[in-house]
Amino acid sequence: MFFYLIRRIAYGIPIALAVGFVCFMLVQIAPGDPINAIVPPDAPGDLVEQVRRDYGLDKPLPVQFGLWLMKVVQGDLGRSLASGRPVWSDLSSAIGNTLMLAAAASILGFILGCVLGGLAGTFRGSWLDRVAVTIAVGGVSVPHYWLGMVMVVIFSVQLNWLPAMGAGPGGSSDWVWDWEHMKHLILPTVTLSVIPMGIVTRTVRGIVAEIMNQEFVTALRGKGLTRGGVFLHVVKNAAPTALAVMGLQLGYLMGGSILVETVFSWPGTGLLLNNAIFQRDLPVLQGTILVLAMFFVILNLLVDLMQTALDPRIKRN
Amino acid sequence: MSNSATTPSAAEAELAVQARQAPERSTGYWAGVWKRVRRDPVTIFCASVLLLMLLAIVFAPLIAPHDPYQGSMIRRLRPIGTPNYILGTDELGRDMLTRLLYGGRLSWFMGITPVALAFVIGTVLGVLAGYAGGKTNMAIMRVTDVFYAFPSVLLAVAISGALGAGIMNAILALTLVFIPPIIRVAETVTTGVRNLDFVDAARASGANAFTIVRVHVLGNVLGPIFVYATSLISVSMILASGLSFLGLGTKPPEPEWGLMLNTLRTAIYVQPWIAVLPGACIFVTSICFNLVSDGLRQAMDVKS
Amino acid sequence: MRLKKFLMTACLAALPVLGASIAQAQGTLRIGMTAADIPLTHGQPDQGFEGNRFTGIPLYDGLTMWDLSSAEKPSVVIPGLATEWAVDANDKTRWVFRLRRGVKFHDGSDFNADAVVWNVRKVLDREAPHYDPRQVGATATRMPTLRRAEKIDDYTVALFTAAPDSLLPINLTNLFMASPTHWEKLRAANANAEATWNAFARDPSGTGPFRLTRFVPRERAEYARFDGYWGTKAKLDRVVILPIPEANARTAALLSNQVDWIEAPAPDAIPQLRQRGMVITSNAQPHVWPWQPCFAEGSPLRDVRVRRAINLGIDREGLRTLLGGMMSIPVGTVPRGHPWFGNPSFNIRTDKAEARRLLAEAGYTPQRPLTLKVQISASGSGQMQPLPMNEFLQQDLKQIGVNVEFDVVEWNTLFSNWRQGCTHASARGAHATNVSFAAMDPFFAMVRFWDSKMAPPVSNNWGFFNDPRFDAMIAEARNAFEPAALNAALARLHAAGVDEALFIWIAHDVAPRAMNPRVRGYVQPQSWFVDLRLPFIQ
Repeated sequence: MFFYLIRRIAYGIPIALAVGFVCFMLVQIAPGDPINAIVPPDAPGDLVEQVRRDYGLDKPLPVQFGLWLMKVVQGDLGRSLASGRPVWSDLSSAIGNTLMLAAAASILGFILGCVLGGLAGTFRGSWLDRVAVTIAVGGVSVPHYWLGMVMVVIFSVQLNWLPAMGAGPGGSSDWVWDWEHMKHLILPTVTLSVIPMGIVTRTVRGIVAEIMNQEFVTALRGKGLTRGGVFLHVVKNAAPTALAVMGLQLGYLMGGSILVETVFSWPGTGLLLNNAIFQRDLPVLQGTILVLAMFFVILNLLVDLMQTALDPRIKRN
Repeated sequence: MSNSATTPSAAEAELAVQARQAPERSTGYWAGVWKRVRRDPVTIFCASVLLLMLLAIVFAPLIAPHDPYQGSMIRRLRPIGTPNYILGTDELGRDMLTRLLYGGRLSWFMGITPVALAFVIGTVLGVLAGYAGGKTNMAIMRVTDVFYAFPSVLLAVAISGALGAGIMNAILALTLVFIPPIIRVAETVTTGVRNLDFVDAARASGANAFTIVRVHVLGNVLGPIFVYATSLISVSMILASGLSFLGLGTKPPEPEWGLMLNTLRTAIYVQPWIAVLPGACIFVTSICFNLVSDGLRQAMDVKS
Repeated sequence: MRLKKFLMTACLAALPVLGASIAQAQGTLRIGMTAADIPLTHGQPDQGFEGNRFTGIPLYDGLTMWDLSSAEKPSVVIPGLATEWAVDANDKTRWVFRLRRGVKFHDGSDFNADAVVWNVRKVLDREAPHYDPRQVGATATRMPTLRRAEKIDDYTVALFTAAPDSLLPINLTNLFMASPTHWEKLRAANANAEATWNAFARDPSGTGPFRLTRFVPRERAEYARFDGYWGTKAKLDRVVILPIPEANARTAALLSNQVDWIEAPAPDAIPQLRQRGMVITSNAQPHVWPWQPCFAEGSPLRDVRVRRAINLGIDREGLRTLLGGMMSIPVGTVPRGHPWFGNPSFNIRTDKAEARRLLAEAGYTPQRPLTLKVQISASGSGQMQPLPMNEFLQQDLKQIGVNVEFDVVEWNTLFSNWRQGCTHASARGAHATNVSFAAMDPFFAMVRFWDSKMAPPVSNNWGFFNDPRFDAMIAEARNAFEPAALNAALARLHAAGVDEALFIWIAHDVAPRAMNPRVRGYVQPQSWFVDLRLPFIQ
């Protein structure tokens, strides 16, 4: 188990490097001279030369990657072209906001998914099953940014129950867990949660149905185990996979929140990416993607380890 | 869509199980699949809807009542049910029904092409990795893992963002996003089949690898991979229209459902139902593809 | 004892609630802007004139400023931190400015001639320790003839230009005075000038009627009234500015009471806004929304016939319908009747037959149609509703056989590209750029586009227009220090510009704004800017 841990972590390092390389290449594949991607257009000549030296833009690609990597490891993700501020400062506040949204959406999706999936799996083949499955499929099929727009129209504009955008009256840096702030979180969370809800429902349904079908459950029931006991048994067996799926969904939502954040002007990494793309602000684009991908890699690692810890039956190869 | 780096998703696991358990897929098997599909009302219904949609958008020039690019300021944002403009008009006075029909072409094109391309490339690489095993397998699967490290939306946005807006760039970005999961599934399924008896027998009889793959393996793996790929089409459509929504895919004045959602955003205050129409189209297409894909997978699952 | 402690705690706990409601009662104005980020707050805003409007004028002053108090009269230049100025009769490149006394910066230090010299050096003197290359772009292009400043005494300063330039006082409305004392204090705590300016942006000090109290990048900036202001104090206690680039989100924010005032509401939303009791304001503006042509080799817009044809081919009435009436129809940079209008022979109107004829004459046929590539933005200060408007134009020009393609970039990018020129990589081969501009002063309205010396990187002659006739007319205007002579020279210049169709004139904005009725005292001048000292919350 311990050796597995070490092996798994060690395995993660080349992945991390490769992910870094892909991010590094983003600037290279962008059309035009890479130097225009990292310095503002009216930068004076000596600044341009300085940056050229720092990033080794005249040197071969592997050297450039090495230089970039060294800077990244020291926490220097470069400077935003548009604002001149270090990328990391904007990114660090944005990450918190996205994490909050992604976590809330994952949890909501997980709860709904477990309920729907549990019901569907238990009463497999019944109308309840079909309804739950349809809702689940609907969840993964709907373009969630469209759903967001529709919800803004209904709940903000028509009914005026909930705000249409932003992260609260004081902005995200003032966040307090009170109604004034939480009401800003509701619509984006619900919008973002439909996808994890759909996926978790299907997963849980499959597992629950499989478990319920197994002969030893019938045997257990025959022996007089109560409904509650069976339920606990199902939960214990389904938990590792379900939690793994939720964990991965969290990572997926962190990386994929750009559309919802655009609709709701939620000040997270997605909105940051959106602005960076339009401003052709490649340092911000590069830095944000790198951090989000790294987060995902680490999350994958944690989920893997947790799964192994909870259920040693799962084979590792 | 699964996103784990090493743990197979539920879908992949299911497919692997199927591959291992199914006997060599004979015509009898496929006849059985077809019979089961025929009796499934949901799948038949959705498949019919998709077929109808496909026909409508292919024959758009013939059935569309107006020109998709021609608008008029006095006809702006007319409501649904206006005579001659049955689904209303958009913010520049263009007929919505026409725009939706023509828009479907680009949306379907941008939804299906990346998956189709990824299917071909991914299957080749995945079968290769699964059959050859050893170092080839390691090389291919590790590179796949790297791309798996990115959530799909992020990767699509990153590549599109770096390359710039445009349909071709968006298709390229999406293809790159879908190749890794297909490689994964192909490799899992191929590995499952490789060790079965009839393949061993073929090997023992002296047939070369290429023939074995072509005759025995492909027939068994293409089915599950194809079904998995169909489940990706809805994701691809949503992502493609999402890219257009962000301004990274199609450019105006081309009609495309995602782009139309974007440009109609301001119409929400005047004609909210028109503003949601393109999204409804994406939703219907997407859910039908998913249900058909599900139905196919169920029909192929001999166990149940 | 315990009771007392309990009461104290209860009172302290209640204070924030009380405080919030008290602030509401005396006036906090929340504004939704079209910019995607808070414009720079260190004295030289970016994001175009919306930046000047919200992070320039409220926080800072220049030597001269605009009179923003009236909606009926045109807005003119009035004394700001300088009380009077005059050009030296013997040396027309030397101006003497007398400074206002008793002015304090937000940090308490005095405003004087040293501060003026320091501020001029921050963008013009590369050797200055506080030189900020990032501020040069937005500033120097607006006052290209300014060279240096010299202190005469504590409240008198001399400014020198490269050549005689009657327009200098107008240009100086763009040079905002930042506090050198405060900057030096921050410099001691920061590694270099660049870091200091970043710190200064978070904690600025100017002489303006408001002080920055909170700054969350990309999200909000909050101001409080500066009670030590030298002029009429503001009525509001606090101002909050929020970037909301998407028109729908702005409208939704106003309707759901997240903001009190929004810039540029979506025209389609205006009926609903009115229905919900919001106040829509607009006014004539010295504003031009054009396609600015590229005159370099290879650009189809080099040919005057093509330029005239496009001007004649546009259905401006149709565009006005698209905008719900929120635009006025141009016949040049300034309207007929304006002292600078002159007497052009080319009449800008809609005449598609004539447009087709001109295009044919220029060699474009249905087999070889004209294809134009235009760089546009998705939003931005003064850009109105760029995407629907441009899409309309694209469709409209198809009727005369012209294909238009767009390269959509973000506003601040388009605006920065404006200073690079059409031959620069950032233009990506565009034949025209869609940057709207203010036309309230001659330099802004005409000189910076039509003077060959104003080509990038000096200023905004993006198209590299170069015609000695125009250079001569401009020199004449620059040397006309007497108002009547100046107007006549500018009228000749404008008429010539219209005749040569140096722009594709498309629209004049009327700067629609939507506000909650509790905002009172608001005045919309005939200007891009707004005086935030006037409104208050009822």
